[in-house]
Amino acid sequence: MSAQHPPVILVIDDEAQIRRFLRAGLELDGYTVHEAESGQTGLRIATMRSIDLVILDLAMPDMDGSDVLERLRSWSNVPVIVLSVRSSEDEKVRLLELGADDYVVKPFGMAELLARAKAALRRHRRGESGESVITIEHLTIDFAARRVTANGKRLSLTPKEYRVLQILAQHAGKVVTHQRLLSEVWGQWHVHDTHYLRIFVRKLRQKIETDATKPRILLTELGVGYRLAVPMDVAP
Amino acid sequence: MLQAVQFPIRERLQTAIYAVVLVALTTFGVAIIIHFTNVRHISIVYIVPVLVAAIRWGVTEAIIAALCAIASAAFFFYAPIYDLRVHDPLQILDLILFLTVAITTGHFATRLRIEADRANRREREIGALYAFARRLASARDAAGIYDAIQQHLTLLVGRSVLLFGPVTTESEALARCTALRVPPQVSDSVLSALRRGGNSGVGTVTQDGDGQTWLVRPVSAQSPEFGVIAIDLGTRSRTETEKIGKDIDALLIDAAATLQRLGLERTISEARSRTDAEALRDALLGSVSHELRTPLAAILGATTTIAGAPQIKADPRLAGLANVAREESERLNHDIDNLLHATRISSEGVHAKFEWSELADIVNAAVERRRARLKDHEVEVRVAPDLSLVYVDSVLVEQALGQILDNAAKYSPPGSAIEVLAKRTGHDVTIAVSDRGAGFSAEERSRAGERFFRGKRHASSITGAGLGLWIAQSFIAANAGHLEIESAGADCGSRVLMHLPVGEDVVPAANAWSETDA
Repeated sequence: MSAQHPPVILVIDDEAQIRRFLRAGLELDGYTVHEAESGQTGLRIATMRSIDLVILDLAMPDMDGSDVLERLRSWSNVPVIVLSVRSSEDEKVRLLELGADDYVVKPFGMAELLARAKAALRRHRRGESGESVITIEHLTIDFAARRVTANGKRLSLTPKEYRVLQILAQHAGKVVTHQRLLSEVWGQWHVHDTHYLRIFVRKLRQKIETDATKPRILLTELGVGYRLAVPMDVAP
Repeated sequence: MLQAVQFPIRERLQTAIYAVVLVALTTFGVAIIIHFTNVRHISIVYIVPVLVAAIRWGVTEAIIAALCAIASAAFFFYAPIYDLRVHDPLQILDLILFLTVAITTGHFATRLRIEADRANRREREIGALYAFARRLASARDAAGIYDAIQQHLTLLVGRSVLLFGPVTTESEALARCTALRVPPQVSDSVLSALRRGGNSGVGTVTQDGDGQTWLVRPVSAQSPEFGVIAIDLGTRSRTETEKIGKDIDALLIDAAATLQRLGLERTISEARSRTDAEALRDALLGSVSHELRTPLAAILGATTTIAGAPQIKADPRLAGLANVAREESERLNHDIDNLLHATRISSEGVHAKFEWSELADIVNAAVERRRARLKDHEVEVRVAPDLSLVYVDSVLVEQALGQILDNAAKYSPPGSAIEVLAKRTGHDVTIAVSDRGAGFSAEERSRAGERFFRGKRHASSITGAGLGLWIAQSFIAANAGHLEIESAGADCGSRVLMHLPVGEDVVPAANAWSETDA
């Protein structure tokens, strides 16, 4: 985070107590914070100011958080972290499909939220810079050359294995739902065939992980999907 | 009960064949006698098969035997031989004699047999009634009496008898009716009888769609608490139904008197109010936990922010305090989570969302999520690499394993080892969590799965609500698995095993779905 332009975070939450500690915690970590106590206000601020990250509470009296998310997504790709009291996996899947970047269940600790915010911002920056090579642990993926190497040794992946890895790598650090992976790689008809995906991921892990039973690169988000570990930063 | 003379058609055909065979054997015997002796007038021997058929099987068989006997005699022994025609008046006399013997003996024998059957049945009924009376007299609790009633009625009616005992709620009754495929008309009248209680007096007779008659009545006309009984009477005439109804009335009056003698009315209504109280407690716990979560979100957020602030971290005394606040609110959050789990389990039940899952993922997620709690322990995780996929609700299994890991961390000394091992054992996959901690005494082990149970020796030293293992057990049970606890005794460490069934192997299907369709 450069000192000249601290990232700007918009907090949309109707509970004053939550806004208060979020502001304190985020400012202590060097962010600039805007607050909105309703969905409408939040959307207005998002159009008027330059925002780097939105933290959005799902339960608000004036409009449902997922409506705010949908409206926001119609014109902006700013990263959004959703706060919710519901810790159901179906809800997570729904919000991720709606375009949320991450999902935090209330109550949560400040350290956890800061880590998620940092990851979301980094992911967004990387997405915009359009890197063609990413490195995670001992694994390097070169999108331009369609080359995957582990410890410098080239791996032979089947076209579908590469495609799965590519989709996950494009969103590295972010959860990609089972449904999305299945429909992008195998087509709409297979969105419920999770067990094929499991077998596939097991084979892929045997190729890219040091110990497939203790994955460090291709990680599972139970009941939701998969994500690739956060890549090492080439430049801060 | 079956009438003795009314054999079904197949059996009758069989006995008729026996009668014919009997006559054939006699013919053979007579032929031998004639061959070796010089006896002439032999046809009287044929009276033997006719008598046997009459006594053993009845009139029809006897007549068949008589006709066959005359035919055989005419054919084989009366001149002219090998000719069926009857010439001698003596032979006509034989025919008349045989038929008379057949009919009269047959009738007598049948009557005797009916009488004997009736006597036997009565003896059995009286015997059963005595046994029932003995069981009633020796019954110490309601369960014994209800067992006796149900058994005796089943014996009496010979068809299914359903007893909806005390404290049966309507939903329970309905669930049982559905499980036993009781016709809807009958379950309706059971429900309305339960609703009305015993004031409805005598029972109702209900016809289901297939023309079967059911009798539904309260166990006792005076005490509605004693429940409702439904009896399948099958297809019976009105008079039969009335007779059985009277028998049942007599029997239930005895049974109800015994129930009253044991003073069960009070016990039962107490049990009922206890069930109500439990439901109330669950509702309260649920709403309180929800209400607590809102302020807790602010408290946890604020304390973690304070604990992380550089100004606080700079002062060790303040940092310590801030950490206490943070840790305690995290613990409170965890306890409230467990209370919410517990109320959800008992109010809604656990609904598993099954999908094929990788066991290693579940184990890793559980260990990862408890990383902070397990930080003082040496955790070793080993998952067999060739485990097949399991068909479970991965989130529930992860939470169950998390509860067990929490316990392992809580009840074993810092620095000690905790081992998590997942492997295939026979038809199950097993996740075993071993620790070197407090273990279980025999008494603790037998009660470990109870809700709110906590070992007495931990009451003052380690906080907890006694919910962890109960939640784990409920979640594993919802996945068709079971928990097993092994411990050599108090302070000898413990091993908690989660057994999950292996679904059918999906690997072949996945192979068939090959890469080539890319």
